[in-house]
Amino acid sequence: MLTLAEKGVAYESRYLDLLQFDQHKPAYLAVNPDGTIPAMVHGSQVFTESTPMMEYIDDAFPGPPLKPQDPAARWRMRWWMRFFDSYFAPSLSMIGWSIFIGPAARQRPPEELHAAIDRIPLESRRIAWRKALFNEFSADELAESKRRVAFATLALEKHLSRSAWVAGDSYSLGDINGFNLGYALPLSQPDQCNDVKTPHIMEWLRRIYERPAARETWAKGRTQMAARIKILERHPGA
Amino acid sequence: MLELYTSEPNTFFLKPLIALAEKKAPFTAHYFDAANFAQFAPDFPTNLEAQLQLEREGPLLVHDGGLICSTSFMLEYISESLPGPSLMPADPCDAYRVRAWAQYLGASLGSVVPVLGCAKYLRPQLAALDPALVDRSIAAIEPVERRAGWLALRDGTYSADYLEAVNERLAAPVARIEKALREGPYLAGPDFSAADIDAYPMLRVLPDLAPVAVNTQATPCIADYLDRIGARDSVRAALGTAKTAHPERQFVPGLEASRWG
Repeated sequence: MLTLAEKGVAYESRYLDLLQFDQHKPAYLAVNPDGTIPAMVHGSQVFTESTPMMEYIDDAFPGPPLKPQDPAARWRMRWWMRFFDSYFAPSLSMIGWSIFIGPAARQRPPEELHAAIDRIPLESRRIAWRKALFNEFSADELAESKRRVAFATLALEKHLSRSAWVAGDSYSLGDINGFNLGYALPLSQPDQCNDVKTPHIMEWLRRIYERPAARETWAKGRTQMAARIKILERHPGA
Repeated sequence: MLELYTSEPNTFFLKPLIALAEKKAPFTAHYFDAANFAQFAPDFPTNLEAQLQLEREGPLLVHDGGLICSTSFMLEYISESLPGPSLMPADPCDAYRVRAWAQYLGASLGSVVPVLGCAKYLRPQLAALDPALVDRSIAAIEPVERRAGWLALRDGTYSADYLEAVNERLAAPVARIEKALREGPYLAGPDFSAADIDAYPMLRVLPDLAPVAVNTQATPCIADYLDRIGARDSVRAALGTAKTAHPERQFVPGLEASRWG
């Protein structure tokens, strides 16, 4: 969404309530049979991998380029996006599920949740949802996730102390991807991510939140998660 | 100046060798014995990204002083930065497919093939070395995720049940690739592309490592694909850099499996 907003591309948004399992209902499975989110439809093509989707939006639409010109900077952008997607995000979401989302979801009858899990098309996703909904994370797994979040936060701080933006000296898809993951860090991980310990991350998050596209996109959020972004206001309440 | 730090032309190491041959790019090769811890020598080139890279072990490209790791992105870098034919499709939809395959196959085949290969070949190789030396070499590996790939070879992780579960994780990606190749000769669009350079090195070892899942009867399109891609000049040249009789038997730990199950 943020990529589309940065490019100024008009699109029709179809909101899915993930905890109502809209993404595993027939209407959505007709678009993406795997039932994973997000999915984007452009003409007759369906796009289901979110980070490659961001590059597609940049390649296929007019608007300001969101990839650097220099191949080495592009490589760095892609490398960090994968690090965010495959190392940072899974650990962060495990913590988020165990603390915030799982307890809320378990207000509903277990048989309803089991039935919802049974409708998920991919076995790997069924396993992940079962773990998430019934808090089947072991203490070791959660401790490891916390360790990884702290480790990845420090690695990102180190990286952003070398350059202003993820890819180097220009704003890119790498920052969009990283912001999507990192905007809530100061609130959810206050001991790991704050002005003293990670000043470069904090400054980077605030710079991105100052962009009109970020404000416009987060204004569309319908949950408490989206409201957490307010911590990045430079003058809270002003 | 273009330098490639590489090992036997197999799995991750085979990819940039094919891409550079497609480009007909001259480069200096620095060969290292990846199965014998040569990449952990103090003078081996590294940087933040190389230390943290999710493929754990793999080739490094050094171009005008800049260090490039992680093979899928290395292929795009080679395509974008060197003269010669583009390895990325011009059509944005097909380019998306290259990147979507890379992401999907990285998480699936990338975490399965190295385990099967290490179980069959690297584990007995390590067992033949001085155990104290091997333990010392592994204990020194940073970060812990990279060390874990090697420790798993020594600490009993590779039980028969574990390897059976890993084998089962082959079914979905193999079926997806077989289906794609039934619909067209290459993985992303009408022409050979970086998607094929990404997938072929992981697929070509499967008839040996998982003969029940990948063979001429079960997966005829993959079998035909392996013959066709294997006949390309670039692939033959890349395989020709081998220093042992069986490069297809050299494995090192690859990506870790998803921690979400």
